[in-house]
Amino acid sequence: MKSIYLFILLLLLLISCHKETSADFTDSPIIEGYLTPGDPFSIHIYRQTPFSSDVEYSSDDINNLNVVVSCDGTDYPLTPTGDGYYTSSVVSIEEGKTYSLSFSFNTKTVSAYTYIPTKPESFTQSATEIEIERMDSTSGPPSSSQPDPIELYWDNPDNSYYLVVVENIEPILDPIRDFGDEDPPENIFRKNPTQTTAEELRPMEFQYYGMHRIILYHVLPDYASLYDEGTVSSQNITNPSTSIVNAYGIFTGLNTDTVFVKVKEP
Amino acid sequence: MIKSGLILLFLITTFLSFGQLPYREFSFNSPGNPCYFMYVNHAPNGNLATTKRPFIFILGERGKSAKEMYEKDPLRKVPDFYSYEFVYLPNNDKHATEILYCLVSLTDLITSDYACGRTNVFLSIYDTTVTENVLTDLGLYQSFHSIRLLKPEQNTALAAAELTTDFKEDVAAYTPVYEDDEFGTYYEEDADDQEESEVFIQAKKTYFGDPSAFDFTLTGVVRDKYSGESLPFSSVKLKGSNRGATANVDGLFTLLKIPTDTSVLVVSYSGYNTQEVYLTPQMNKHNLIIELTPVVQLVNAVKVVADRQDVVLSKKEDVGVIKMTPKIIERLPNIGEKDIMRSFQLMPGVSGSQESSSGMYVRGGTPDQNLVLYDGFTVYHVDHLYGFFSAFNANTVKEVQLYKGGYESRFGGRLSSVTEITGKEGNQKKFNLGGDLSLLSINAFTEIPIGEKFTSIIAFRRSFKSPIYKKLFKKLSSSGTSDDEEEDDSSNPGGGPGGPGGRSNNSTQVTSFFYDLNGKFTYKPSTKDILSLSIFISKDKVDNSFDFDRPSFGSGTSNFTNTNTDLTTYGNIGSSLRWGRKWNDKIYGNTILSFSNFYSKRDQSNERSGEDENGDEFTSYTGILEDNNLIDYSFKSDYTWDVFKNSQLQFGVFATYYDIDYQYVQNDTATILNKSNKTSLSGGFIQNKFKFFNGKLVIVPGIRSSYYQTTRKFYNEPRASFVLKMTKNISLKGATGKYYQYVNRVTREDIMSGSKEFWLLSDGESVPVSSSVHYMGGISFETNQFLFSTEAYYKNIYNITEYSLRFNPSPMSSDYEENFFSGNGDARGVEFLVQRKTGKLNGWMSYTLGEARSRFDVYSDTYFYANQDVTHEFKSVLMYEYKRWNFSATWIFATGRPYTAPSGAYTITLLDGTTQDFFTVTDKNGLRLPNYHRADISVHYKLLAGIKGERRRKEIGSIGFSIFNLYNRKNVWYKIYTIEDGSILETDVNYTGFTPNLTLSLKIR
Repeated sequence: MKSIYLFILLLLLLISCHKETSADFTDSPIIEGYLTPGDPFSIHIYRQTPFSSDVEYSSDDINNLNVVVSCDGTDYPLTPTGDGYYTSSVVSIEEGKTYSLSFSFNTKTVSAYTYIPTKPESFTQSATEIEIERMDSTSGPPSSSQPDPIELYWDNPDNSYYLVVVENIEPILDPIRDFGDEDPPENIFRKNPTQTTAEELRPMEFQYYGMHRIILYHVLPDYASLYDEGTVSSQNITNPSTSIVNAYGIFTGLNTDTVFVKVKEP
Repeated sequence: MIKSGLILLFLITTFLSFGQLPYREFSFNSPGNPCYFMYVNHAPNGNLATTKRPFIFILGERGKSAKEMYEKDPLRKVPDFYSYEFVYLPNNDKHATEILYCLVSLTDLITSDYACGRTNVFLSIYDTTVTENVLTDLGLYQSFHSIRLLKPEQNTALAAAELTTDFKEDVAAYTPVYEDDEFGTYYEEDADDQEESEVFIQAKKTYFGDPSAFDFTLTGVVRDKYSGESLPFSSVKLKGSNRGATANVDGLFTLLKIPTDTSVLVVSYSGYNTQEVYLTPQMNKHNLIIELTPVVQLVNAVKVVADRQDVVLSKKEDVGVIKMTPKIIERLPNIGEKDIMRSFQLMPGVSGSQESSSGMYVRGGTPDQNLVLYDGFTVYHVDHLYGFFSAFNANTVKEVQLYKGGYESRFGGRLSSVTEITGKEGNQKKFNLGGDLSLLSINAFTEIPIGEKFTSIIAFRRSFKSPIYKKLFKKLSSSGTSDDEEEDDSSNPGGGPGGPGGRSNNSTQVTSFFYDLNGKFTYKPSTKDILSLSIFISKDKVDNSFDFDRPSFGSGTSNFTNTNTDLTTYGNIGSSLRWGRKWNDKIYGNTILSFSNFYSKRDQSNERSGEDENGDEFTSYTGILEDNNLIDYSFKSDYTWDVFKNSQLQFGVFATYYDIDYQYVQNDTATILNKSNKTSLSGGFIQNKFKFFNGKLVIVPGIRSSYYQTTRKFYNEPRASFVLKMTKNISLKGATGKYYQYVNRVTREDIMSGSKEFWLLSDGESVPVSSSVHYMGGISFETNQFLFSTEAYYKNIYNITEYSLRFNPSPMSSDYEENFFSGNGDARGVEFLVQRKTGKLNGWMSYTLGEARSRFDVYSDTYFYANQDVTHEFKSVLMYEYKRWNFSATWIFATGRPYTAPSGAYTITLLDGTTQDFFTVTDKNGLRLPNYHRADISVHYKLLAGIKGERRRKEIGSIGFSIFNLYNRKNVWYKIYTIEDGSILETDVNYTGFTPNLTLSLKIR
């Protein structure tokens, strides 16, 4: 019977040990950094919004961190310019180079890396102008047939990701349709990142008349995955996959080429 | 009374001569005893051992000794009596009446208590002085089928000719004729008059003479008396010593070096009455049949058999092994079906709070780390209806053994534990038919024996739509399709339904079901061979699909068709062909050819087709398609060789060919994962059971070595265990071993709607071969009434794999094939068990303190609690018997399991100036669900055949009523998150609430 008492004693001893509970919110910073050749080196570091009000923040000043960028084996400290922005006038962003980022936050070392992809090659368009009939509430649907879409082509030998962004650059916006009571749409629209070599801009995608800038971004897969997350329904509440360690956000290299198209009334 | 008095006086029979002649001379008792004399046994065919034969007892002429009569007697040379056994009695130094007076006892002894009846026991008396009156007075006509008295005028030669007809063998008499009613389980009314009658048929001591064999080998088989079903892994022990043997899967056992052939065996099997078998020299030493009777639900049984084994939770002889038989399971509460796997969840060390999985979480392991063998083939998926019911039909299962860890070398390929299920062979003696009807399913079985050598059992089970089924199903489907509904809503921004087939009218007509089919066909061509074919087919189909046509919003003229598919089908097909052979008394071999297939398909998609505003036809397709298919062809050949008394060698070879495919497709085209692997695993094992100090210490070292084709490497797994019986009641146990796993069920992490798993072969790179090292030790204290046991374990686990799309191993690529992450883990714990084994009120309580941790570099650089981690777990099971009623109640408490949840949000500005919200999650498994607790109760009432008032009535079934989750505790299964207007909505998905169920079980016998 002695053994039973021993069991009970042991049991009580074991129960009396308790586990430490893990924090349910970790104050991990968010990084937003797009590195484009020619642009100055600038990133934004900010805090996430917790769901719970009762959370503990790190004592680190997010607007005054020691952020270091390394490229080609040299470290460059970034200068805080307020509101979580960090810049450097020394670091130049060049195609093909790899950039690493690191700083310390909430007792952890945050790091990220990326490289600058090649400039898009042979970016061409099927037309530089497109004619679209003006529509309003009185005119009804257009009578004549729709104009052909504008085809965009580029080379993509390595199956990498490209993103097309179309922006109206007129100072005053001249709508094609009557938006009625609805808020007018943005002067910018985009296609989803693609691994193909072509994209088409359909007439109905354009909202305003005037000159449009078409930017073809050569992006890295981590940027493309930002768009993925929205469609991968069961994954969309999680953070996108990136090279960032101990933080969230995006730190990615880009390269662009631009063409223009003019939308006008027939 | 005279007889029993004499038996007490009998001293010893001395073995006297053993010459060349086919006879033996024995002494019955010793000098001084009134029944002391010398007699001669003779078998013309030379085989004195067999008891199943005609016996002729011969009282010789006046003045002749047994040997003299043996030499003179012409009967033994009559060819008709060639296979008879002759027993010559002396008639020289005593009066014939005195010899005849002792004869009943001697006959009783030699014929093994009339084991084969009295039909073929004859007596011939050459002494003309004996009269029929004497025979009648001594009651000899009750003991002998016919007695031939030689009349004074007859001569012996003439008598011999007549005797061939008088002493004719009746062959039919050997086949034991059972009354039809003998088969089946019986219920005996509790004796109100307090008469303490011994009801159990106990082997009685019949032989009081000297042993005739020493240090011999005994082999035999342990069976159920009524069905003839062999009792696997039953225990056969030598009374008064620690020595014994465990029968194999066919109930066959071998005991080496039994000191004498008058030793006593103690044979036990859970759910059956322990029986003492008194060996006699006449018993068959090579195929001894020991038949046990099932425990009759008799209340005062405690007085009768002290070692009654109703529920044995842990086996004394083994480390970390628990076993279950359907007889025990019947009495536990259930949620719709007698459930074997679920019953194990009431045991210490097996997680009881995993309502959604019939698979077992053993000692911090996951269900895929538990090897499930059904008649030798591996079963890869053990659930029905998303885990609410186990895939095994309790009506076809004879026994289940669970090895909780540190298991022997004969098993392999899993990190954590082994569940070995032995299917029933079917009634060997009589046709049987039975079934269960519950609020969930219908279950029918039949047992058909053909001749003496062939048995079969077939069982079929199918769910039907009942309130309980719908209730469970609703829960499952709603949690599984919440995404869908959301998508639907967003695809119908117009709001209300546009036609008769609108969304709101279109409530999903669920056409879902599960079924399973079990069949086992056993052929025993000889006492040495057994061939059996076992087949298992199970299928689940869960269909939430619907489609509708409606006018498209906008133009109002063109239509589109929306087909919403949510179809999951999964199932198993398994089969094994087994050949067991007893090569000789010491070597037993078992060869198995098996096939196993698990498939799982989920098509959760939305297909829209129709015409767009330009009149062009379009088809758009969104959703996911998941397809997992696993095929396993295996060959195994195992041997057990009882080399010496204290050494049993087990060895074997095995080979498996695997073919596993997994496909995960999103939105019709984006194949996220497509893995197709084929490989083979082959090897061998050898282990030896050494017994020291007269069986007090048993040590089993062993090694298993495997060659895995994919990695082209050998994997060696050394293992060892010991059991030390310190005193009669206290045993100390320990085990250690290395384990590898090549086929893994990889977790696909999904924070939002619960993680899913899929089977995959290790490729040695992204999915490495996982391994584990176990250390465990325990102590148990057992009395006739109670069992106290504690075991502690520690396991290291290496190279476990998870699949997650949350992290991108390389931001420079988008190859999802790389999203496999591996890590390490450990699990430790202590288990305590107190069990009351006997009495009206019995049951057990167990407590487990455990911890299971993992470390994946990708999630965190520190250990986090594994998904299955449970800190405290307390379980109690109480069973109470009152007459025909059986009550049981269980209560489970378990610490909530860890989970990961979204913890915050952030917004990223994209290149086009728009923003996108993203969510961050807590530390991996940093949160805990609320504690889990639940009580279940059940009551069973036996249905009996026969007339009320009869004392002994056949049990033909039962009515059971059970309540699952008695106090309707809302236990959280998992949480789902939905995003609405940028904020997050948390919803608890709960486990089953208060659920009553009614079961009717019926059987012929």
